[in-house]
Amino acid sequence: MVSLVAVGLPATQTEPIAAALRRTVVAPLVSLQQSSERWRSAWAASGAQQLRADSLALAGIKQKALEVENSQLRALLGLGSRLQWGFVPAEALHSTAPIPSEELVQTVTITAGSNVGIKKFSPVVSSDGLVGQISSADPTTSIAMLYSHADFRASAMTADGNAFGIVYPHSAAARRGAEGYLLELRGVPARDTIAPGTLLVTSGLGGVFPRGVAIGTVVSGMTTNEVWTHTYLVRPAVNPSRMTSVFVLTAQRATEGTGNVWSAAGGASDATLKRIVAAGDSLAKQAATLEAAARRATLDSLRRATIDSMRRVLGVPVAAPTDTMAVRIRRDSLRADSVRRATAPPPAGGRAPVRPPGTPPATPPATPEIP
Amino acid sequence: MNWTSTVRTIIVCLILVVFHYTLRPLLAWRASVDFLIVALLLGSVRLRPGYAAVYGFFLGLVADSLGATGFGVAAFGMSLVGFAASWLKAVFFADNLALNGFFLFLGKWVFDLIFLIVGRGLHGAELAMQIFVWSPLSAAVTAVAGVLALSILRPLMEVRTQ
Repeated sequence: MVSLVAVGLPATQTEPIAAALRRTVVAPLVSLQQSSERWRSAWAASGAQQLRADSLALAGIKQKALEVENSQLRALLGLGSRLQWGFVPAEALHSTAPIPSEELVQTVTITAGSNVGIKKFSPVVSSDGLVGQISSADPTTSIAMLYSHADFRASAMTADGNAFGIVYPHSAAARRGAEGYLLELRGVPARDTIAPGTLLVTSGLGGVFPRGVAIGTVVSGMTTNEVWTHTYLVRPAVNPSRMTSVFVLTAQRATEGTGNVWSAAGGASDATLKRIVAAGDSLAKQAATLEAAARRATLDSLRRATIDSMRRVLGVPVAAPTDTMAVRIRRDSLRADSVRRATAPPPAGGRAPVRPPGTPPATPPATPEIP
Repeated sequence: MNWTSTVRTIIVCLILVVFHYTLRPLLAWRASVDFLIVALLLGSVRLRPGYAAVYGFFLGLVADSLGATGFGVAAFGMSLVGFAASWLKAVFFADNLALNGFFLFLGKWVFDLIFLIVGRGLHGAELAMQIFVWSPLSAAVTAVAGVLALSILRPLMEVRTQ
């Protein structure tokens, strides 16, 4: 009977009873239910959070790769601005399937061919230095033989021009992993000693590579059976496994040389970077100035509207602007004759103003009719 | 029923009530387990019909206070179910798990019937769907959960024979 009465009661009367129960007797059960539902929502959200974390990790990996690519392209951009002419930009496509017999990258495919002037033996360079040379050129693609290839040779010298030699890929017995990309500078006369850390560049002898392309730095001397010459181990300036974009030098550029391009690479790229940062700063400053001006204009208009409304409420007539920019602009924009007409209107009654004899009438002459 | 068995029954019913407000939201099944009905039937078969109705009324008030609408409907339904369970205990209740499961199924389904007809104001196809699909499903799940609970809590339970 009591429960039937409770069913029949209106909500306004039953709700206080329910609330009192929730606050007192049922309070522990309410907290238990809340905890359970919180656990359930946490359980349901954990999957989504895991997905989000995975997505963030993936985005982080991609961002790292983009940063690397961005820095490489920026360096290449600097090299292009220094070279100015005589080169073909292209992408280096690495083979997706590794060749079991080859642990090192020895050739890459270049996305430019004979259609744009690439020929066999054209030098391939990157922003860091020498990459290799073209071994075969198709109309749209080419195959480049890298310096790690067993057949690669290049005439080299120290950056100061004191010592000369021939660069070979490092001996096959030691070609494992990162060490496989080392080079050997052979045939250096015994009287010339090269200190570790010395920069090696192409000498231009032989006519394949232009003079001055960076090859690498000397690591140490090597012990060989040769008596009259020395051999040095050289760490290349370019890592082929990370290379994505290259320049192929044209024949004319290879003949005429590249000058001191790679020696000044660091400074020039820094200058480019500074210019980019400065441009970004100036854009940010300009945007901030515009935003501040817009904010000032909004505040002015708000203040003016408030003052006008206050004046209207108080019954004070709104004063005409006396020295505002708008008035000055309006006065300046009027022509002098129109101002004169506005200040001296023709009198009513049809009487023309008195004018001295001999002067032309004030009204403009009638426009001649066009037949 | 001596005081020891009374205390045991109270403990088991409290455990079932706690299950109702912890396990049920955690599982969040569409056809959910009603541990309150299990607690009601387990308690009612050990009480006289009048006391069982009062017990059902208070359990229903707890359910009503946490429900969104229809205050008093669960109290009414549980009073009726508790009274009927206590009255019919001699017929149905025995130390047989299958029979106990059927008893739980029937109690839950009758309670849902009362709850839906008195409290919800459903009509037509929707009411039929609730009565003949979802309520039996929920009653079946409740019966299974009740039988499991009885099996687990058997050491604590003592069946009234008189």
